[in-house]
Amino acid sequence: MEVVSVLFDMALIASAIRLTVPIVLAALGAVFSERGGVINIGLEGIMIMGTFFGAVGTLYGGPTVGVFAAVTAGVAFAAIHALVTITFRVDQIISGVVLNLLAVGLARFLNILLFGVATQSPGIGGFAPVSIPLLRDVPGLRPVATGISPLILVAILLVFVGQWVLVRTKFGLRLRAVGENPAAADTLGVNVYLMRYLGVLISGALAGMAGAYLAIEQGRGYLEGMTQGRGFIALAAMIFGNWWPIGALGASALFGYFDALSLRVVVLNVPHQFLNVLPHIVTILVLAGFVRRARPPAADGVPYTKGEES
Amino acid sequence: MSARLWLLQLSTPLLAILFGALVSSAIILAIGKNPLDVYTLMIRFNVTRADSIASILFKTTPLILAGLAVALSFRAALWNIGVEGQYYIGALCAAVVAFGVKGLPAVVHLPLTMAAAVIGGMAWALVPIALKLRRGAHEVITTIMMNHIAAATILYFLTDVLRDPTQVGTPRVRTPIFEPTARIPSMRGVLDAIGFQIPGYSSLNWLLPVGVALAIALYLLLSRTRFGYEVRAMALNPDAAEAGGIRIGRVQFTMFMLSGAVAGLVGLNDVLGFFGYLDIDFPKGLGFLGISIALLAKNNPLGVIPSALLIAFLDRGAQGVQVFAGVPREVITILQAVIILAIVVAYELLTRYVRNVRKREAGRVVAAAGPVLEPGG
Repeated sequence: MEVVSVLFDMALIASAIRLTVPIVLAALGAVFSERGGVINIGLEGIMIMGTFFGAVGTLYGGPTVGVFAAVTAGVAFAAIHALVTITFRVDQIISGVVLNLLAVGLARFLNILLFGVATQSPGIGGFAPVSIPLLRDVPGLRPVATGISPLILVAILLVFVGQWVLVRTKFGLRLRAVGENPAAADTLGVNVYLMRYLGVLISGALAGMAGAYLAIEQGRGYLEGMTQGRGFIALAAMIFGNWWPIGALGASALFGYFDALSLRVVVLNVPHQFLNVLPHIVTILVLAGFVRRARPPAADGVPYTKGEES
Repeated sequence: MSARLWLLQLSTPLLAILFGALVSSAIILAIGKNPLDVYTLMIRFNVTRADSIASILFKTTPLILAGLAVALSFRAALWNIGVEGQYYIGALCAAVVAFGVKGLPAVVHLPLTMAAAVIGGMAWALVPIALKLRRGAHEVITTIMMNHIAAATILYFLTDVLRDPTQVGTPRVRTPIFEPTARIPSMRGVLDAIGFQIPGYSSLNWLLPVGVALAIALYLLLSRTRFGYEVRAMALNPDAAEAGGIRIGRVQFTMFMLSGAVAGLVGLNDVLGFFGYLDIDFPKGLGFLGISIALLAKNNPLGVIPSALLIAFLDRGAQGVQVFAGVPREVITILQAVIILAIVVAYELLTRYVRNVRKREAGRVVAAAGPVLEPGG
């Protein structure tokens, strides 16, 4: 009984929501990239760039500047992936893996340059916390509705905007067409390269923002390795969410929950190392399709060449 | 024509390295240092100091193994990003056998220890490949998750289960010292005998020739055997291979397990060949370097040897420029990544160019042959 009340404790839910945000932002980015037909394994690296530039921007200009810097860095990093995979048609997995390696080195190098040490930045302050007007008056929901980061609200809003864009707008339709059948989209006059570039750049902006959230609201500074593989967990969340933003939100919430649970070391009598890997084990289980089968966009991961049979 | 293509093929890695050097020069200039001075220092530090050469060779051993492990999976169009975790578990299994089993002669104990490492690596590789073949889970993400789980597992065993009781109370978190019979012998004896005495050479151990021999053996396996043919056929066109009677799942499974087996050996150079215990600070990141090496080598087992040497050379040089020029060694990490990116782009462009040239030539042949095919008057 005690365990049950611990598992559904409001403070735990609040912490789960906070931990869901970086995963869902990156997962939303992954949705845009893969809907356009480009696998972005480099999300982890982009998130690392986001944590670093988020911290630096906040240090010099406050959290808003931090988010802006992280998004810019994310877009710039994603642009490399887009150039290499879309224009030069290099294998998307290779490019992503190399980007992740590059990000680790770059973050260490820049951190040494700015702060003299390789692995962490000075501490920073976050956004002023906000409360949700109506929900905060419901007694049971207080921990969830008060003192939260505005970025949480932005993230949730972005999920629904993302869903709307993909389903309802011309851009979303074109992006999905390019991910399903680029040759057909091409004959209808859709610029395949442009759409794919946009998808990847959007994923960079969102993964950068995810990194900024981690550094600004979660870590209060940049710390090497603070992403802890969340870029990959986000990819799993996207798959589990069936390549849709709202699906990705649900899946991310599941990961966020296990993440939060893993922080509750004391209540469960298990070595903490094993609780720490709970989100990673859940990721494997989800990918292994123990929960549901999903279908990726047909042209996902396939480079497109105009005028050549694939 | 074909001589020109050969030349192109050879010049691609060189061009990519040049491009990497240019990017690094920009970075070095940006931090107010002279790139030429830094490169000169790096090369002098590496080739004129005898202990540098020993150090480069010592670093090369695990890099060859890591590069081979990654290349084996890449050859089969599988992405084993999990070499990192596989070698942690390999080292952990080896350590248990190395200090836990006593009273065996070295000829039995050392092979047993190495076998434990191989089994550990394969066990860790089994999960992602089984889930891929059975349930369609993408191995890139599952292997990365397995890396995280491996890191936590090794931490747990080192701190809570296998920690040397005599070290409790000190900050040293390590296993008991291994039995001498489980250690990989130093190459010192042979090097002395042939008169190759350089400072620092005592760390060089017999795993280096083993790694080189393994590279050659795997090259032969992939280029000269029926199995190697099946791997190539499958990588080129899985559907055609399947139609031709090749059992794809089995080939993929075998290659991935081979990859995990080789990965299990990666940590042994330091653990069995140098320290003689498994320490919480044992070298990490070798699996990721293995990815760079496999890409540099275009997944050719023989190409892995010079690629590993290059990465080891850069790594040692990074130590030099950090100490003597005050340039952070991370510049070298960035350089590595940029070189790899440049190389894959260059390879891709080259392949496309070659394909176009061939197509044009084929077109010319057809055009030349055309009139003959026309029905004669």
